[in-house]
Amino acid sequence: MIMDLNVNGKTLPVEVDPDTPLLWVLREQLALTGTKFGCGIAACGACTVHVDGQAVRSCLFPVSLAVGKRITTIEGLSSRQSHPLQQAWIAEQVPQCGYCQPGMLMSAAALLAAHPQPTDAQIDEAITNICRCGTYPRVRRAIHRAARTGKG
Amino acid sequence: MDSVRRTLLKASLWVGGGLILGFSLPAKSATLLGAATPGPSRDEAAVTAWVRITPDNQVRLIVSQAEMGQGITTTLPAILADELGADWFRVQLETAPFSNTATAYRNPARSWMFTGNSESIESFYDLMRKTGAAAREMLTRAAAARWGVPASTCSVKGSAVIHPVSGRRLTFGEVATDAARLPIPEKPTLRASSELRLTGKSLPRVDVPPKVDGSAIFGIDFSVPGMLIGAVRTPPTIGGRIRSFDEATVRSKPGVLAVVPVLNGVAVVADTYWQARTALAAAAFDFDPGPNADLGTPAVRAAYRKALDDGPWATPVNEGDAQKALAAAANTIGSDYESPFAAHVTMEPMNCTALVTADKCEIWAPTQGQELAFVALKSVLGMRDDQISVNRTPYLGGGFGRRLLPDFVIQAALVSKAVGKPVKLIWDREEDMRRDWYRPATMVRLTAALEKDGLPAALATRVVSPTILLPVFPPVETMLKEKGFDPGAMEGMMKTPYALLNRRVDFHLLKTPIPTSVMRTTGYGPNIFALESFIDELAHSARIDPYQYRRRLLRKNPRALAVLDRAAILGEWGRPLPKGRGRGFAFTDAFGTLLAQVIEVHVEGSDVRVEHITSVVDCGRVLDPDIAASNIEGGAVFGLAYCKAELTFRDGRAEQENLNSYELPYLAETPRFRTEFINGAAKLGGIGEVSPITVPPALANAIFAASGRRIRSMPLSRHGLRFV
Repeated sequence: MIMDLNVNGKTLPVEVDPDTPLLWVLREQLALTGTKFGCGIAACGACTVHVDGQAVRSCLFPVSLAVGKRITTIEGLSSRQSHPLQQAWIAEQVPQCGYCQPGMLMSAAALLAAHPQPTDAQIDEAITNICRCGTYPRVRRAIHRAARTGKG
Repeated sequence: MDSVRRTLLKASLWVGGGLILGFSLPAKSATLLGAATPGPSRDEAAVTAWVRITPDNQVRLIVSQAEMGQGITTTLPAILADELGADWFRVQLETAPFSNTATAYRNPARSWMFTGNSESIESFYDLMRKTGAAAREMLTRAAAARWGVPASTCSVKGSAVIHPVSGRRLTFGEVATDAARLPIPEKPTLRASSELRLTGKSLPRVDVPPKVDGSAIFGIDFSVPGMLIGAVRTPPTIGGRIRSFDEATVRSKPGVLAVVPVLNGVAVVADTYWQARTALAAAAFDFDPGPNADLGTPAVRAAYRKALDDGPWATPVNEGDAQKALAAAANTIGSDYESPFAAHVTMEPMNCTALVTADKCEIWAPTQGQELAFVALKSVLGMRDDQISVNRTPYLGGGFGRRLLPDFVIQAALVSKAVGKPVKLIWDREEDMRRDWYRPATMVRLTAALEKDGLPAALATRVVSPTILLPVFPPVETMLKEKGFDPGAMEGMMKTPYALLNRRVDFHLLKTPIPTSVMRTTGYGPNIFALESFIDELAHSARIDPYQYRRRLLRKNPRALAVLDRAAILGEWGRPLPKGRGRGFAFTDAFGTLLAQVIEVHVEGSDVRVEHITSVVDCGRVLDPDIAASNIEGGAVFGLAYCKAELTFRDGRAEQENLNSYELPYLAETPRFRTEFINGAAKLGGIGEVSPITVPPALANAIFAASGRRIRSMPLSRHGLRFV
């Protein structure tokens, strides 16, 4: 089935089974490999993208539900790493292995969009992504830094 | 080498953590390209095996070690670039290949190519300086010859040789071809410490920019032209096999190109992963559960307990006469400790890209174990050395020891061989957790004879553990057979920093069908959990403050005392706390590094809130303070996972096969950190694995201080406690 997807501001036709998770359409049809496969059951958040500005875990999100909506991936979060969160991530040197970080950033971006000055409790509630390297303290610091310095 | 280093070093205390940060934006940094060709390409001059330079002065450094989050891709080439005099922010980095013509990148201490054991810095530091200095001397001599001046009148700066007297300058690129023809100096002169610019301070990590915009290429993102994608299914049980499956259904699914039996499983090769996975999921499988169908955690624990009571024992340590001292003692105390099975759960599941034809095998894998994969492939494929190359993808989504194993590489190679095309094989999380080589559970029994002053006159230790080293270091087989113990599983017990005159250590090598191998902290983790918990019990029994008790046992070790004392101050040891709160202390000497940790907890009913983790670390000179702090603090979260998650078995299979049941720590449960380094003159030690070691005992000791409950086994859920 051919569908038009609006990804990172561009309309792109894809031909896939409508049940295919958005994750694999992004990775395999559109070569947007920044969005990661971690668990396949929406438990880890490595596959987090935005659909109409909401953070969704794309590994269980059928592509058919994304048709007609704005999809944003880590590749489309900004141009040249200019999003305040990406700048804060660099300033705080957040990533270690880095595999969870695109999902972490997309979750954080959705949080800042809803709460430009999030409290620690709001960060706790919103960031349920798993990071095996344990970058959590820097994730928290970077979110606060981005809230201070930019318009998330 | 120590004398060289000592002249560079100034003992001082350095405050880590986020205080020193604030890199200018956009961050400039060296760039990691991808896998290097086995030798220099046509436009490159290889000055040494590690330094390739193009005529337009592009300096490319080879990175031998796998980047899996520890920051080695920044620190190791920075050591080299510092000696070389290269413009760090313009160098390009390439990951080292492994083949019969590319063996220069082995760990020089072991003549073996791998990334692990927290030893990359320790093993490669001297080599990086030496190869950088050698290349600098060769480039300098080539430029001096061009000018007809003595090399001693030239110097090097910003990837160029300069002749200050005449103001002349030649870029590295302009003299690289000449330099590459010169003999490599055996003993190049290393720079004075005052000339080093890149080590000792926090550099922006090379890998951070591509990790914030999705452009970093992990194994799972790697592709080669014409590549197909494979998904794999193996039996859920350990040692099971596939009796039959509905192959016709699999073949009927869209995109399916091949169905390949591989070892104990079946792989489906398709145009996309989703197609391959969907086809596999659609088929009915009939599994033979195999010989371990009854395997379950209660019986496994009973086997451990029986071994702990009855042995038999190998006795790798017998200093003084512990048995006599114990028999004679008026006061003895003993406790048993248990650590659970644990799964690595690298965030990137196992995957590998392979191209195997009749006479060639090329691998691109997110691997820590290039040479073990090479050796295994040679044997499995029946190929010659010169037919195999094992390349590493730029980034590994976590490693923690799991990627030392070659099983996923072999599987991908066999599938590619069967279809005759390049194949990227991807495991799903369930496969990744079922087919893990787990950190084994251990049981440890500690018995001490106490003197009147409360200090131990003797310590007897029993450790029950399966092997962890054998799967990643096959030569240990002889030792297991002849001596009956696994040195990896004995770490933290073979040697101890504590002053103990009479010490006996017994080891029982438990046989189990559960695959076990190394995982971040290796033997140190379970053993130090037992030892540091027991020291805490001894201190309380003697009514001596646990920090002071350790001081007495370390009184002849000034380096350890400095670490302990600083941790006590920074961790606010002794400062009164409200009811329900407590602090725990733990110390270790592991991977060449000393670490003392103070953990503060709040226990309220069944809820455990970890408030602070304070770490003071002596790993010798700190080469990159911020990267070091990230290893220590992230490592502490990894240590919390050993206190939270447990892998159990039932009916021959792991009961936790994904992240909904294997519960790792969340951001919300993460404490505040205080981290400091004694930036001292000691020999360089490792920092990748030391911090998770002390978390379980420091936490258990803190829970005791807060609530009076003594936790002798992990995870906390066994005791009705949960993290909040």
